[in-house]
Amino acid sequence: MKSVPDKNILLFRSCLVSVEYPGVEASTKFVFDKLGVDYAISEKQTCCTGLGYYSDVFNQLDTSAIGARNFSVAKDLNRPNLVMMCATCYAINKKSVKLLNKNDELREEINTLFDENGLSHLKYEKDDLKPTENIFHVVDILYSKRDKIKENIKYDLSDYKIATHHGCHYCKVHYEDTIGGVRDPNIIDDIVEACGCKSIGWYDHKRATCGTGFRQRYSNPELSFNATADKMNAVYDEDVDILVHLCPNCHIQFDRYQHLISKREGKEYKAIHLNVAQFVALAMGGDFDKVIGVKAHTVPIDSIIKELKEVDK
Amino acid sequence: MTTQQKITDSPIDFAEDIIHDVKNSREEGVLKCVQCGMCTSTCPAARHSDYNPREIIERVLDGDLTIIEEDNIWNCFYCYTCHSVCPVGNSVCEVNQILKQLAINNEIAWDKIYEYLGFADSYFNAAIGAIPEIFFTQIDEDVPGWWEFRQNLADIRDELNLDPPLLPDDDVIDEVSLILTITGFKEKIEKIRDSQEDIK
Repeated sequence: MKSVPDKNILLFRSCLVSVEYPGVEASTKFVFDKLGVDYAISEKQTCCTGLGYYSDVFNQLDTSAIGARNFSVAKDLNRPNLVMMCATCYAINKKSVKLLNKNDELREEINTLFDENGLSHLKYEKDDLKPTENIFHVVDILYSKRDKIKENIKYDLSDYKIATHHGCHYCKVHYEDTIGGVRDPNIIDDIVEACGCKSIGWYDHKRATCGTGFRQRYSNPELSFNATADKMNAVYDEDVDILVHLCPNCHIQFDRYQHLISKREGKEYKAIHLNVAQFVALAMGGDFDKVIGVKAHTVPIDSIIKELKEVDK
Repeated sequence: MTTQQKITDSPIDFAEDIIHDVKNSREEGVLKCVQCGMCTSTCPAARHSDYNPREIIERVLDGDLTIIEEDNIWNCFYCYTCHSVCPVGNSVCEVNQILKQLAINNEIAWDKIYEYLGFADSYFNAAIGAIPEIFFTQIDEDVPGWWEFRQNLADIRDELNLDPPLLPDDDVIDEVSLILTITGFKEKIEKIRDSQEDIK
């Protein structure tokens, strides 16, 4: 397995996490603190532009120039390991690092623009960062620490039926770097197992998109919700209690729209939705309101998790 | 009726342009397409609409530039499923993104971009990516309690003890706005906005 860092980490803030599921950030910090991961958050880091990029509003020059600025923030803090909470940020930043290293024309164009406009401090030199060695998702860190996770479990969640959803922009974009496979992704299943639970493993549509499709959800809702229904029906058929995922886009699509799709399909969907960091934080004893952030959820967490039982020590 | 193609027609020019686009990470992948249809058979947009990724590559290889005018190309989810299964290492998902940038550069489909200018504004004015307000009414209709939740967001964040605050400092925003001005982003966005507001 590739080497995964546990220090000099810049935990990359995500716009969607910040305003939709802030408990994902609190849970990541809670778990990282318990596992002894060295990280910091910077107020100078800005959004990856992903939502604009995948709505075709930002082109590659815009996105990679903003990327270069964020990479310079990371370098200045001596935290070259960028760890993302959002799959979109992960894919966007990895692509920009690859391009800035390999595409001399793009790198020079951006550096020249910086030089000519008083922004020389943001310039990116070839190989300042490496796509595989420096760009990670939180899920990579959790996976590399699963032995330590096992030692820190407080609550037994093994009675719940758990399925995983892996997030296209973590698994499928830069799949040469994906831990746990792309055709049958299982990195979250392995982390769930480290929490003392067994996931259901493969299910129909396991590797399918959540259905967000960026512009599809807003401009083409029928198409978007039909794709989401494929997934939700598969989860319903397996009688799943908890769906665990790794991206706030998927989280919004499942948690916010489950009610609506349930009505459309005429089926009583029951699954609750947790980001993998929230799931691990919960198993490690994180408080519902102060760590997991359940108040941000549309499908109430306590519709499934009514009480918590401690593990037998 | 199809007209027979001559070797001198150079239909490959279109594919060559795509290969040289900054977004293309697959070198000559598009030329290696064997039309197997794996992309279409795994594509969520093909499953639920007339979108057909295999056909997109067929038309690109035929040098059919009218593909950028097709409404259908806007159905792609950018889920990269095709990209992750292609046996010859092509990526219709990336080709699709390149086709859309070509469309925009040719002043096609600006109405589709107009709806999403909220991303440009939130980024330019606040250095954050916020869901465009134009969609808020629909979200509130679709998602029970969403608007109320958003009103309580500051309290929820406080309880989670999160900092720094949501909005970056002015010096950060100024730097980001400057970057988006010098890349030509601002000018492009204003042109698209003006053209659409003139129509209205």
